[in-house]
Amino acid sequence: MNRVLVANRGEIALRIIRACHEQGLDAVAVYSEADRLAPHVKAADAAVELGPSPASESYLHVERLMDAAARTGADAVHPGYGFLAEQAHFAEAVGQAGLVFIGPPPAAIRAMGEKTEARRRMAKAGVPIVPGTTEAADDAEAAVAASAEVGYPVLLKAAAGGGGKGMRVARSADEVRKGFQQAASEARSAFGDDRIYVERFVERPRHVEIQVLADRFGNTIHLGERECSVQRRHQKLIEESPSPAVDLDLRLRMGEAAVKAAQSVGYLSAGTVEFLLDPQGRFYFLEMNTRLQVEHPVTEMVYGVDIVREQLRIAAGEPMTLPGRPMRPRGHAIECRITSEDPFANFLPATGRVDYLHVPTGPGVRWDAGIETGSEIGLFYDSLLGKLIAWGENRERAIRRMRRALDELIIVGVPTSQPFHRRVMGEESFTSGEYDIGYLERVGEELLEPGISGEELQPIAVAAALAEDEARAARVPTHENGSAAGAESAWLRAARMGGLRSTGRGR
Amino acid sequence: MKYTVTVGKQTVEVEVSGDSVRLNGEPIGATLIGIPQTPLKQLVLNGRARTFAMLRSDGGWSVQASGRAWLVTVEDERTRQLRELTGQRGGYAAGGLIRAPMPGLVVRVEVEAGQRLEEGAGVVVLEAMKMENEITTSGPGVVKAIHVEAGQAVEKGAPLIEVVQPEG
Repeated sequence: MNRVLVANRGEIALRIIRACHEQGLDAVAVYSEADRLAPHVKAADAAVELGPSPASESYLHVERLMDAAARTGADAVHPGYGFLAEQAHFAEAVGQAGLVFIGPPPAAIRAMGEKTEARRRMAKAGVPIVPGTTEAADDAEAAVAASAEVGYPVLLKAAAGGGGKGMRVARSADEVRKGFQQAASEARSAFGDDRIYVERFVERPRHVEIQVLADRFGNTIHLGERECSVQRRHQKLIEESPSPAVDLDLRLRMGEAAVKAAQSVGYLSAGTVEFLLDPQGRFYFLEMNTRLQVEHPVTEMVYGVDIVREQLRIAAGEPMTLPGRPMRPRGHAIECRITSEDPFANFLPATGRVDYLHVPTGPGVRWDAGIETGSEIGLFYDSLLGKLIAWGENRERAIRRMRRALDELIIVGVPTSQPFHRRVMGEESFTSGEYDIGYLERVGEELLEPGISGEELQPIAVAAALAEDEARAARVPTHENGSAAGAESAWLRAARMGGLRSTGRGR
Repeated sequence: MKYTVTVGKQTVEVEVSGDSVRLNGEPIGATLIGIPQTPLKQLVLNGRARTFAMLRSDGGWSVQASGRAWLVTVEDERTRQLRELTGQRGGYAAGGLIRAPMPGLVVRVEVEAGQRLEEGAGVVVLEAMKMENEITTSGPGVVKAIHVEAGQAVEKGAPLIEVVQPEG
């Protein structure tokens, strides 16, 4: 393995190219029309334009990617995350072309890709799943009987479900009877399928995931957990490692379950097993992500491991550099995803150009990004601009460091999630570690209160007044500021303004 | 010159004459210097330096601090008095024409013509970047016209909904 084609863009493409160079490997970048000037293109040893900006014609176009690999003499392909990373057919195409796919075997991707099938497999392998029925309930009474077995509270869930439709939480037999009819009729009208399953309802769960790595020498290890409960609509916003809710004993048990999950599908390379963790410390398999995760850096920071480098070694047929025994995390790391979304406008995706960028530096701070000054932020791809990661000796120090780093970060030209993160870093339930996946729903409104604080108001107001004064001094002849002339023209101006308003209304 | 400076719902008075600056009547030490080749200006206020990204915008300044851009209106006494005289509301007028803040696909129109809306009410759901985004009103109003329908693709800036001030 000498030359790796990185089938991705943005921060993750740059991350992988850096790892290649540190391993003494050449890196080939691919790019769409929109990404001609992107940092990952400049960082690579060779770059190939795939096609127009839409992902379907560029980063998702398997044929063009394979062609780019052939033309540049690449002998391996790293898919990054997103795009084709979890498409078994892509991994197969890479293999059939005689190249190394830097990731798991296609069979493992497929086994974990079909979510209900994966759950069944995991149950068989002894990985805990949310208790529930595997057959749909025939009627309300059957659902009541199943609920008694599963244990209350239960979730009545449409077989064809999605997006919260056809779902009801029930805490008693009566509620099951009522909820069953509602869920069934909702499911019928939404999906044309009214089959209902009964599942244990996990209350106030946390999203905790385990990083695993497996090589060709039979070593499958875990690198502890990441806490990813600060989410919005299932999109992670902040991740940390270790989780404030996981102690050594739980880490070992969750790690063991994750290793079992990976082994049961013949896993290779880096992967992540996602769990729901309830307040009693019970955990349930959610799914396995058969790729490198966005949030892998927090694990790297506390375990002192370069996960992408391990992926490269594993793909080249070398053993991992890590010991087989469980490792201990050192200190604490937090990652904030800096996205081009306006947190004060319902996280609306924003576009623009990065007119100015100042990146935080100093001890314990890492910035993994795909932007630089001049980058155009469009709507073709996801909104992740970069990841700010802070490490500290303990959680409190990591939070302080993240605050400091967020205060240093300046991105001008496009609204970002930066102010959201700054507020979370000072919010009590986050700083105390007492939060779960309902976090944003509970504190979001107060956290994103749109008003300006007294502390911020004065400097901003003074700056604006001084800027205005300077701008006026530069363009207005001084005598117009005289009060006599001013009084006279005021009425004229009022009339003009009135006229402008009435014509301007329909704008 | 005495300025009335408004940020959101808060207002302060800043008087600038030569090098001396007063904030709500109190003398303060304040200087503002533009940083060459950047959109940044450095404010030194009572001995503390801060950096803001500052751009002129409609009726005032956009001042970005810690990642958050504030729209700041700066009025001198005369324009403020005139505005009060003619009854125009300060800051950013509520309602009006709501435009698409980004290109996208209209998933849903959530209002009907004639409907009364509270501030922050959702009017249209737009899909962009595979995410559904609810477009909301910036003030209370009544829906006057609807310019789009579900399933329609819109460009950035396309008119979506027209809202007028509620009567009374």
